Amino acid sequence: MTSPLEARSLSLNREGNNVLDGVSFTVAEGEIFALLGGNGAGKSTTLLAFLGFLEPLEGEVLVNGTSVHGDVASARSAIAYLPEAAALYGHMTAYENLDYFLHLAGKPASRDGLDAALDRVALPEEARSRRLQSYSKGMRQKTAIALALLRETPIMLLDEPTSGLDPVAIDEFHDLVKTLAQGGQTILMVTHDVYGACQVADRVGLLRHGQLVGSFSAGNGKRIDTETVHAAFAEREVA
Amino acid sequence: MMLGNLTREIRFLARDRGALFWLALALILSVVAVSFGVAEVRDQRDTIATLVEEDAADRANALEGQEEWGSAAYYAFHLTYAPPSEFAFAAMGQRDSSPWKHRVRMLALEGQIHEADTKNADFGLVGRFDFAFLAASVAPLLLILLLYDLRASERTARRHDLLVATAGASWQLWFPRAFVRMIMLTLLLLLPLWIGALMEGTALSAIGQASFVLVGALLIWWLIVELVSRINASPSILLTSLIGLWLALAIVVPALSKAAIEANNPVPDGGEILLLQRETVNDAWDLPKEATMTPFVEEYPEWREYATIEGPWAWKWYYAFQQVGDQTVAPLVGQYRQARLSRDRQAGLLALLSPTSFVERAFEKLAGTDAAAMIAYEDAVRDFHAELRAFHYPMLIKEEPFDPNVLQRLPAYVPSATGD
Repeated sequence: MTSPLEARSLSLNREGNNVLDGVSFTVAEGEIFALLGGNGAGKSTTLLAFLGFLEPLEGEVLVNGTSVHGDVASARSAIAYLPEAAALYGHMTAYENLDYFLHLAGKPASRDGLDAALDRVALPEEARSRRLQSYSKGMRQKTAIALALLRETPIMLLDEPTSGLDPVAIDEFHDLVKTLAQGGQTILMVTHDVYGACQVADRVGLLRHGQLVGSFSAGNGKRIDTETVHAAFAEREVA
Repeated sequence: MMLGNLTREIRFLARDRGALFWLALALILSVVAVSFGVAEVRDQRDTIATLVEEDAADRANALEGQEEWGSAAYYAFHLTYAPPSEFAFAAMGQRDSSPWKHRVRMLALEGQIHEADTKNADFGLVGRFDFAFLAASVAPLLLILLLYDLRASERTARRHDLLVATAGASWQLWFPRAFVRMIMLTLLLLLPLWIGALMEGTALSAIGQASFVLVGALLIWWLIVELVSRINASPSILLTSLIGLWLALAIVVPALSKAAIEANNPVPDGGEILLLQRETVNDAWDLPKEATMTPFVEEYPEWREYATIEGPWAWKWYYAFQQVGDQTVAPLVGQYRQARLSRDRQAGLLALLSPTSFVERAFEKLAGTDAAAMIAYEDAVRDFHAELRAFHYPMLIKEEPFDPNVLQRLPAYVPSATGD
């Protein structure tokens, strides 16, 4: 069966630096796969490769079995992307931002649809008609998450999705992601939050200096052991 | 699909205060340029209308009581003028630096044409804020300000990848976003021009061609901005680069072209023509009369049998040395005319290197305010003066008895619409 996301021996250069070196993994339908790693490990680069922004030096990235560089538009239409600290337009309200981006994606939604998504991310109603420049970082992130939800794509790529969220909002977000995965959405998230990754992911991959150096999964409905992953993460970091 | 993209970007633009400011400025500048142009053209028409009236009255007054053909020709002034065309409001062009009205007499002509060369020197230096200047020089700047950081500002705001990933294909985002700005700028610039053209009764073909020129120039600038803004650099570096390109194409290239053309085509100035002609005319007083009448009859062999001047003074001798004054400067005048036409032709070729020069020249051509039109006006003045001579010479040279009724048939200057 074709995996929604697959990296095959992926190597990438950015500005002369070897950022990814022979990375291979797949993410199955309905699976939450978290890529863990320190700064500069190549996590965000991996997401950009799936979005077709970076061309592999070697290997390839596939979305729904098709090489991204063969059909970038098709790959992007299947993916909702939540960048790190997503900067939506500060001079526009949450409604206006969502409306603009959904029109850009060719999937406009009704006001009720927007409200439903904003309800799911718990953005206060009174804030929705305010410009985003008056929002806290967490509120902006919630709006961006609502946008990802509204895209209703089979795949979500999340870059440090809980950055800026308070603990309660992080828990709510994790529940939301799990619900989406149960509904069949395939989720690839990159984070340096070991605890959060172990809380939400079905599988965790450990990236270090552009190489996938470890993979952890729980199975049988259990959570991945945070201490094990943390130990591996820390050990590799100091190694 | 494309309509949806455009609607989306129109709504987006409506919320972008920075872009709205530049668009509003474009509209204001266009209104100002067109208003100034229309006011100037109407002022010139009023001036001409007043002069036409006063010229007729003045001539009638001067001719009253005259008893000789010579004095009648001497004291009668004749107004010549190039009325502004119906599109001149958009491009005053050479009308600011070349004379478009004269009062000529039966005397030597070239001096009368060229003694006005130094008028409007201030406009020759600073130029006029007319629509042609707006379209050629200011509109590209406004377009640069509207487009230069479309990509770079999104990169700086870390929104670029999200936008492009959401759009799917890059062109679905950047093309409509730039296109909407380009169209809005074009419309806001053209709208006052179209209204001005309606008020002035400009031909549809001229309006269409002017609009086409503006759109074409803005498309070229859009291409330039598009190519530069693809560079992965900060907005300030992109703006600096584009302003540099604008300076090069709008100022440096035209200035260098002008210097090269002038060095390559030396032109005698009007003062030289004026001086030579006056010296010739003044010297004639001290020369034997044959020295004047011989070259005169070489030009007009039909008057050979009347060329002998027996007394110390004769009107025909006086007008003959005025004529010889023109004959003496004719080579210089021809050289002056050809050099100006040659400069104009070369300027037309070099304008292909600068969208700014090209647009200005195109507008001046449409408005009938280019160098060719002004030279055509000078030629029309010469033709009219030749008619005056043809009218007066038979009576003057054959020294026929004076009949004031004949003066009712004096030639009248009839301008063409654009002075050509």
